[in-house]
Amino acid sequence: MNGPPAVRLQDVSFRYPGGAAGVFDIGLEIAPGELVVCIGPSGCGKTTLLRLIAGFLRVDAGRVELGGRDVTAATVRSRECGVVFQSYALFPHMSVRANVAYPLRVRKVEVGARERRAEAMLELVDLAGFGDRLPGELSGGQQQRVALARALVFEPRALLLDEPLSALDAATRLTMRDEIRRIQKRQNIASLLITHDQDEALSLADRVAVLRDGRLVQVATPQEIYDHPADAFVANFVGRANLIDGEVVAGDAVDTPIGRLAVPARSQPPGTRVRLLVRPERILPQPAAGGENVFAAAVVHDRFFGANREIELAVGRGSLKVETTVRGEITHVHVPRDAVQFLSPP
Amino acid sequence: MRLRRELLLAAPAALLLAGFFLLPVAAVAVDALREGTLAFTRVFALPAFWPSLAGSLLLTLVAASVSTLIGVAVALHLSRLPERQRTLLSFVIALPLTFSGLIVAYGFILGYGRAGFVTQLLGLAGFDAAVIGKALFTPVGLAFASSYYLIPRVVMGILPVLVNFDRAQMAAAESLGATPSQAFRQVMLPQVAAPVGAAFCLVAAVVFGAYGTALALVGTQLHILPLQLYSLISETGTDFPAAAALALLIAAVCSTIMTTGEWFGSRHERHL
Repeated sequence: MNGPPAVRLQDVSFRYPGGAAGVFDIGLEIAPGELVVCIGPSGCGKTTLLRLIAGFLRVDAGRVELGGRDVTAATVRSRECGVVFQSYALFPHMSVRANVAYPLRVRKVEVGARERRAEAMLELVDLAGFGDRLPGELSGGQQQRVALARALVFEPRALLLDEPLSALDAATRLTMRDEIRRIQKRQNIASLLITHDQDEALSLADRVAVLRDGRLVQVATPQEIYDHPADAFVANFVGRANLIDGEVVAGDAVDTPIGRLAVPARSQPPGTRVRLLVRPERILPQPAAGGENVFAAAVVHDRFFGANREIELAVGRGSLKVETTVRGEITHVHVPRDAVQFLSPP
Repeated sequence: MRLRRELLLAAPAALLLAGFFLLPVAAVAVDALREGTLAFTRVFALPAFWPSLAGSLLLTLVAASVSTLIGVAVALHLSRLPERQRTLLSFVIALPLTFSGLIVAYGFILGYGRAGFVTQLLGLAGFDAAVIGKALFTPVGLAFASSYYLIPRVVMGILPVLVNFDRAQMAAAESLGATPSQAFRQVMLPQVAAPVGAAFCLVAAVVFGAYGTALALVGTQLHILPLQLYSLISETGTDFPAAAALALLIAAVCSTIMTTGEWFGSRHERHL
């Protein structure tokens, strides 16, 4: 990375007055042009983090930098972050063009120039010709595009998006997801997107930051987060997961409630308690018994989604979640040895 | 069937309107127009009419403006409070509406009259107690006293609008580079201007036609139209057609102000 990161949080902490909620010891950097998606359960501090960067909240401790400049004590407007709100927060009494041009208006850009730039932004978000309408005359997806254009028109230091897709229907959400990515890449702007939707996080992000109880648990690429989660919480929160507790019986075998599992060899003494992760799509239905890590299974729940099935199986004294494209009856499953990962012990 | 049910529901209010508004106004109108327009001519020729009209307009302008300004500020503050606190404070603010004009006037005389304790305190602080004590009995002083029961009307009128205002818009404006003052003027004010205008008209109409507090506070020595009407009715050898004509004029002004207020209100609804 050349030059300073576009956004840098150093040991940032904030606690809401009179409560235990907040964010604690946050360290995060966003490179120019990078899209970081912050994900976590409700109340974990995602929006608080965004509000601290935008300046709506002031940190109790730590430092906030934008483009290498310390903005910890700076006002909201001097931070120059483009913010897209969950409710869009468009100005209903102004036309779409006036909304997009607003940041230029308060910067006293000459009328002609700001209208030209607003029109160019509207074109970028595929809303050319909509400038004279009022926000109330647009669909949710179109309003979201206006909010995005308005947040980008003044070339902000960073783009902050607070659950921008949560108010949209499923189909529009998918389209807007691609649109946000396209526009963000085109503008090459450092962005932080807040969501609780794991699909959104994995499909959009250059890196995913997982937040739990106000603390960053893991920051990594979507693939790294999915394939090598830092702990059981991340494994469970990002994607579906089989978390299996067991006891090491040999270097490459663990006794678990579903039976004895052959696992990748590790130098752990027998008797060590371990927690294992197996992703549901890595488990393979088998027609019959026989072979390593093949277990008899009884279907408990079977949900059909067209392209695939999500099945819950009773296996030994435990259970397994399986995702498969196999259509027929399932009586046995195979857990490939290399599908088993060790997580931090329970 | 539905129409019949709606007519039945509207009937009690329609009866009240007819019995206690339309009928009296019609009776007054008949009285006023018994001699054609002569009664109106006599009203315009009264030596105190034009000073009273000027006094009423001054009182209305000052009282409605001050009440609207303070009411908007109070409502803005209340709208930012948690709901429980807001409900409690709204109750306290609405209390003046339950007092009669007589009590309000007496309270103001005790506080701000010539021997009022606030006047005396201000006198001790170096202000001219005589000037302050006299100020209450002028149109501006009456406007000050009227604000006491006008401000709650403004607060009650615009508080729901401010509570429902999407505050994310203000945060958005600020993040886009607006100063707090720009955000207020360019984002919030245009959206709440219509209800504020409606509240202004409502209190203007109320204070233009009110006479209870004024009468209790200053008797008939102040030149405003409602007190002029009171004088006309209470004088011996009363000119009833002239009194009726003046009553119609006051009602017409109040109705015009109220209609303007309704127009402001409907503008806001169209924008929702």
